[in-house]
Amino acid sequence: MRPLYWAWLEFTLWFSALVIGLWITKGLTNWWQPLVMWLILVLCFVVTKCFGYPGEALPLVGFLVFIGWIFLARLDQKWAEQQFWGFLIGMLAYCIALFGNFLSFDTPRLFAGGSLALLILTLLFGQRIGGAQAWLTVAGLRFQPVEISRIFLVLYLGRELSGKPLNWKNILVLGIFCCLLILQRDLGPALLIFLVFCSLSLYTHFSWYTLFGYLGTIILGFFIAYLWFPHFTSRVLAWVWPWNYPDSKGYQILQGLFALNAGGFVGTGFGSGVVGVIPANHTDYLFAVIGEEFGLIGTFSLLLVYLALAFWAIQLLTQVEDAARRTMGLGLTLLLHGQVFLVVGGILRLLPFTGMTLPFVSYGSTSLVAQFFMLGLITSLGGAPDEEKAS
Amino acid sequence: MKRRLVRCFLGISLGYVIILGALFYWQLFANMGQHPSNPRYYQMFREERGAILDRHGEFLAYSNQREEVFTRVYATPSLSHVVGYFHQRYGLTGLERLYHEDLLRGRWLHTTIDLQLQTFVEEMLAGREGGVIVLKPNTGEVLALVSSPTVDGNSLDQSWSDYLGDQRSPFLNRVTQGLYPPGSLIKPIIYGGALEQKLAEPNKIWTDRGILQIQNRVLSNYNGKALGVITTDQALAYSSNVVFAQLAMDLGEELLGYLSKFGLGFQTNFELSVKGGFVPPKASAPFTLAQLGIGQGELLVTPLQMGVVVATIANRGVMMQPYLVQELRGGLQMRQISRPRVLGEILPEHVALSLRDAMVLTVQEGTAQGVAHLDLDLAAKTGTAQVGQGQDHSWFMGFAPSHRPEVAVVVLIEHGGSGGAVATPLGAKIIAKALELGESEKGKR
Repeated sequence: MRPLYWAWLEFTLWFSALVIGLWITKGLTNWWQPLVMWLILVLCFVVTKCFGYPGEALPLVGFLVFIGWIFLARLDQKWAEQQFWGFLIGMLAYCIALFGNFLSFDTPRLFAGGSLALLILTLLFGQRIGGAQAWLTVAGLRFQPVEISRIFLVLYLGRELSGKPLNWKNILVLGIFCCLLILQRDLGPALLIFLVFCSLSLYTHFSWYTLFGYLGTIILGFFIAYLWFPHFTSRVLAWVWPWNYPDSKGYQILQGLFALNAGGFVGTGFGSGVVGVIPANHTDYLFAVIGEEFGLIGTFSLLLVYLALAFWAIQLLTQVEDAARRTMGLGLTLLLHGQVFLVVGGILRLLPFTGMTLPFVSYGSTSLVAQFFMLGLITSLGGAPDEEKAS
Repeated sequence: MKRRLVRCFLGISLGYVIILGALFYWQLFANMGQHPSNPRYYQMFREERGAILDRHGEFLAYSNQREEVFTRVYATPSLSHVVGYFHQRYGLTGLERLYHEDLLRGRWLHTTIDLQLQTFVEEMLAGREGGVIVLKPNTGEVLALVSSPTVDGNSLDQSWSDYLGDQRSPFLNRVTQGLYPPGSLIKPIIYGGALEQKLAEPNKIWTDRGILQIQNRVLSNYNGKALGVITTDQALAYSSNVVFAQLAMDLGEELLGYLSKFGLGFQTNFELSVKGGFVPPKASAPFTLAQLGIGQGELLVTPLQMGVVVATIANRGVMMQPYLVQELRGGLQMRQISRPRVLGEILPEHVALSLRDAMVLTVQEGTAQGVAHLDLDLAAKTGTAQVGQGQDHSWFMGFAPSHRPEVAVVVLIEHGGSGGAVATPLGAKIIAKALELGESEKGKR
């Protein structure tokens, strides 16, 4: 354990140097924000530990959030300021999830209903920003309901799939969920949820027939989407032949690859990348910016931290006795890492690009709050046994 | 239960391993810096690039700011074959390409070129197709390198399509990449080999009847002229094919060894891209050897290779590495790129001195007699290389002053006709100019 504290201290010092650097070169005025974030993070860590929960994920997530914050501040200070408030609400959501004991609620209908209701509300009252109709404004706060909706759906799926075999109701709920997202033109989360569903269903009841059935569905869905949705067609074209459309469809993916390629092994150095040209460089493509300025060393460490998070979550799940809670926890873990695969895989041209944030790193308050909520839920699984009995 | 969770973790790990593999590829192995859609490529046109200077500190190339973009300005068109060009649309060549990284960081490149001499040679060659290289024999520094016709690095925008359509291929660097039969320029090498192998003495007497019968084939002198009773030195001076074909046959397979010792058939180690030429790997038939001895047949060389040959003879048999770039200055450290480097002792000193005497005789009474009146203390050899179509290629190589050589020159004029009539006067004028500039250089010091 001790070396981990040293690593955290080292990271803190290194990060402070970056903040001071930005303060000197760009006149950063919100330099105090990371300080507050750091204090709150440490406080939450202590609280988590004191109540007997495993808090080891928090420093790892802290690393991701701070890296994201410093790059947002480097791109444009206003994004970093926003991200700070997202972080504060996120830590609140974390605490609520940690102590709320939501994973013990045996209310699958509530989860499914809540999830679908949020999406329907978005479809009725939502605003269209950047292609997808995915924003809802409540009491002056604008947020993306899908980020919360999909957590509910994974909780529903986890509880339903853990005991009973798959039934038509699950498929119906999933189908409606995906259809609603497709109507909003938000294909990324639909694909992600479908993949999580497949993995969970295979985890609980494995058979080769189901596996091939899912693969067949994915391939079929791919072709149907390719033929019927012009939006998806151009994504696929940009994925397979970006060189043919360097100024239109393929522009974003090419610029992302150019940035990563310019980074090389050690990167061009913080603040010296040519990153203004990448569209969505603060959200979906922040990874490419990090890749240019910190190089392979930076992207590699980022992925190692995600891998460490996965390891932490899985070893936590092995100690959970209750099958339903375990399946829900696994669903949440897969939701987080599936999103990493889809985003980074899209940037690296392994998959067609589906616009989503890089968990904990990219700009996006709703996304950050939802990710912290999920982290709280997973952490709550590692609670002391006596508490588990009490619930 | 636990096993299934472990499988889940292995699945997630596999995903990260795949992503890492792709990251390694895109970040380390893919090469996209030059892609026309990559803004990083155009970034280099918005920054001032280091200048390229000649041996006296004159600008050969510098960056000139026009609004946001810097364009490159070159002192004279013929530099496009030496310094190369750097252009937003047409890319970069020559030294601009070789030292791109350093120039991009604002470092200045100091070359061995003498701009005045370069311009002089360029004027001499204007309107002709050919190449000239001027070297300092005792160091290997290249003072001038001109290939004609040439593209102009200053007007690529206006003339690019003309250059592409030009039948005379102005992009070809005839000095480093043009391949020609050497003709009689090969004879000093044969003579050197024969002297070292003691197959001939400078004063040995030969009888030249103008033609030589080898088995059932005949080989004759230039214009079939019979030179009568001559010494070996005179055979070189008058360029007797009969005598040198005989010497080549006497040398036998050893001949090929001498050709490769002088670097023929190999790519010369040089800053610009070069061709290696061609030397047949085997030659045992007497007629093949005889043809090699007079520089015809399959043999092909570049003017650069002949430049190294004449510089080696001038430097008493010691071959020096030819080079163009002296040092890089600017930034944190000065970097010495090249200093004179000995490549090897190709001929014993007494042999090289005998060759020199024979080449002096060439000017005094032989094929280069036309320039004797210039009183340059010149040692030279002319060459007239027969080609399949059109007039012969005209060659000249020489160095001066013969006892302490300061410059060595090779001139090639494509389809120029006889070496003594065309290339030799040009070569002598270039040597005279180079010596004059060398004197003033000494004066300044």
